[in-house]
Amino acid sequence: MEIRDLLALGDQLLHIDEPKFRQIVQLLEQMGDHPDIQRTIAVLRPRMAELRINRRPTLKRLFCDPFEDLFETFGKSEPAPLSVIERSLMNSLWSMVEAQIGKDRLKGYRGALQEGPQQKAATEAFWAETAAVVADIAAEMQAGRVAEAFRLRVTPDRVRAVADIATILSIAPDIRDLKAVLSPKPVTKLHQDHLDGIQDIARRIARGRPDALKIFILVAASRLSEPAVLLGGLWDMDLGRADRAALFMDLSGTVMAQIEGRSRSLKGGPGAAPDRLAVADLAVDLVASLDATRDAMERSRNKSFDQRLKEVRGSVHEMVRTQVLQGADGGIVTALDGLGDGTGDRAQMAQAENQARALRKCATIADQLGLRGELKAVTQKTTATLTDKARAALGRGPAGPASRTGYTAIRMIELIAGSAEANKVMDEILGGGRR
Amino acid sequence: MRSLTNFAPSTFEDRGAAVAFTTPVLAQTRVRKDSREQLEVLVPNLSEGRGVYVVPWKSLPLAFPMTVHDRMLHDLIAKGEGCSPDDIRKATLEAARCGLAGPDAVAAAEAALRDDDEQRLLINYQLIVEALKAVGLESTEILRAGLASAEGQRLTRDLMSKAAHSLGLEPTELYSRIAELAAYVESIGLATSPKPARLRRLMRDLQGFRDSMTDWATDNVSEAAPIGGFCAEVAEHTVNHARTVMKQLDQAVASFEVLIRQWDVKRVVVRKAATRLSWLLDGWEYLIALWADAVAKSRHEQDLTVHEIFRVIPLLPKNEGQGDQASAADALMQNNRRSVRAYVDWRSGQLDVDLVMRIETIKGKAA
Repeated sequence: MEIRDLLALGDQLLHIDEPKFRQIVQLLEQMGDHPDIQRTIAVLRPRMAELRINRRPTLKRLFCDPFEDLFETFGKSEPAPLSVIERSLMNSLWSMVEAQIGKDRLKGYRGALQEGPQQKAATEAFWAETAAVVADIAAEMQAGRVAEAFRLRVTPDRVRAVADIATILSIAPDIRDLKAVLSPKPVTKLHQDHLDGIQDIARRIARGRPDALKIFILVAASRLSEPAVLLGGLWDMDLGRADRAALFMDLSGTVMAQIEGRSRSLKGGPGAAPDRLAVADLAVDLVASLDATRDAMERSRNKSFDQRLKEVRGSVHEMVRTQVLQGADGGIVTALDGLGDGTGDRAQMAQAENQARALRKCATIADQLGLRGELKAVTQKTTATLTDKARAALGRGPAGPASRTGYTAIRMIELIAGSAEANKVMDEILGGGRR
Repeated sequence: MRSLTNFAPSTFEDRGAAVAFTTPVLAQTRVRKDSREQLEVLVPNLSEGRGVYVVPWKSLPLAFPMTVHDRMLHDLIAKGEGCSPDDIRKATLEAARCGLAGPDAVAAAEAALRDDDEQRLLINYQLIVEALKAVGLESTEILRAGLASAEGQRLTRDLMSKAAHSLGLEPTELYSRIAELAAYVESIGLATSPKPARLRRLMRDLQGFRDSMTDWATDNVSEAAPIGGFCAEVAEHTVNHARTVMKQLDQAVASFEVLIRQWDVKRVVVRKAATRLSWLLDGWEYLIALWADAVAKSRHEQDLTVHEIFRVIPLLPKNEGQGDQASAADALMQNNRRSVRAYVDWRSGQLDVDLVMRIETIKGKAA
């Protein structure tokens, strides 16, 4: 296959079967660093990450290994790391590191890519040298001197990210141990052995590089499905000489900022119809994060974040109220009417189903958000309207001309209020001669 | 690991026909008739133990919380006359069509019913052509005039009368034999058909499933690999059996003149082969679609899917000469125990709506 044909396939490659997908990735890797190939790999990357394809070992990959958990995520479903590093920044930085160390000297590190007794020492030496180079680059950037080779606009976030990379590389062997403790990623529940492992490594870092402790904890948190969960564990950890309280506050601030950022992410623009199911999913995630953070705060008897927690909770409350609950019945009932007069389509119906599912999803967090009454009112109102529709449509018998509308109304009741309620309505309407 | 595989039926009727329920715990469970001709359902053991629950059909809604769609399907099957794979399919399409399993299920059911109608027309035409060919008559005139046109129908009547005469039959008898034959092979179609019918397509897909699963299980170190290998093996045996039956059927139809002349004897052969084929391939549509969906997903999801397929895989009954499948499955289970997969929200005991919708999507693809 010609490279042009391969590239033309674009995101269709995401849907081919796994063995073929692996072959294509292998083929692309052998084709080198052409920008078109890099672009195609960027398209394929989410699936490559999902399938955990073992890539050909390169020094660039080894360079990224300690901080790869902080790379920006692909989909909204994955939690973003607490401190994000852009891939483009890493690409730019690696060119600079490569140039500064020099190709000949880098060749000396080839042993780090091959299995054998030399691998560990060579890898650690490589990380140590790259850490020193990146630390110099970070110092220059902080002093306002930016090399031309850094092809991106310099922003405070990017300066911070380069400094973070330097710090992480300097504790890279510890990060390797951390990955062994927190595997496979994402860790959904923190067990005692996880916490003990993190504590041991953190104490080691606190002795040698106390300034690296925060970024170490951020890397650890990014390997969890809910980064805020680590906060709770952190309060009980014995970190030796480190100022646990300061670290806890610092990390709590980062977690809070992330939760605040996420709570702002789905504020619908004017006129834009919100994807109600996505809003509900986000709300459920945010409430989980808020609960984990609040638990940690309660354990530490810390009240300094109370106000911010309250504000975020308020903003999630508002988000659910305006984007999930408000007008929920209208969208669902309109889709049903479209079905009756033949104007409705499948997309509209799928959207209505999503609205119904969003309502149900929010039932799990309504209590925490103080929306129980409002949700109950919306659910009851929608269910009552749907029941009327179903009764009108199925009243003339289950095989009548409007039966499709009637059955769809019952399905919507099922999605909103559950199967038991829907079955009850169905039984009431169709009586003894059920269905 | 709860599974329908730890139960070794002797015949297809004992095994029961798979029902495409959308309630996760009931998905692909099997229905059959008991000794008093009452329907009963076989549910894999819920507590990870051996054996299966045999629940009277009437009591099923009392024993398990079901989706509204499933209650409707349950009623339709109860009201129906039988519980063969064809009877179950008819009820399944009728239930899906009403809208209780969502708009995609409606579209899939309507497409399947349209396909059935097209196949019915095609098979009738092909059998008429075969009848005419058997006595040396040409059918191109009919085609030219259009099968549905008045002229085409007049031509068909004339030619069929001539054919009946040559075969020493009354035209009405010839028509009735062709109609009966068409009903038997409707879901299988003829080997020469330009558009393969449902069971032929299914057999081809099953071969694809076997190949894909074999590839997946080879050199795979996950704990699901031996289970995947076993599933591929069951598919292999099923394909081999189905191929033999299909061959018998194709041969019988190919000797069309003999088939019509010796109708009383041959109809039994054709009917048995057609019935056996539908039993052999019963339950595989869903599993093939489930696997096709998992192929593009992560390793972990593929492992879970393999376990799910194993849970309800249609093993060949003992009388089909594969008596070892059940004990092989049993041995596999002993070696590969894994934790229970939750089908209900453990906090509320409510059905997991996301899982129900996933089943609906797969079911739509399999229709």
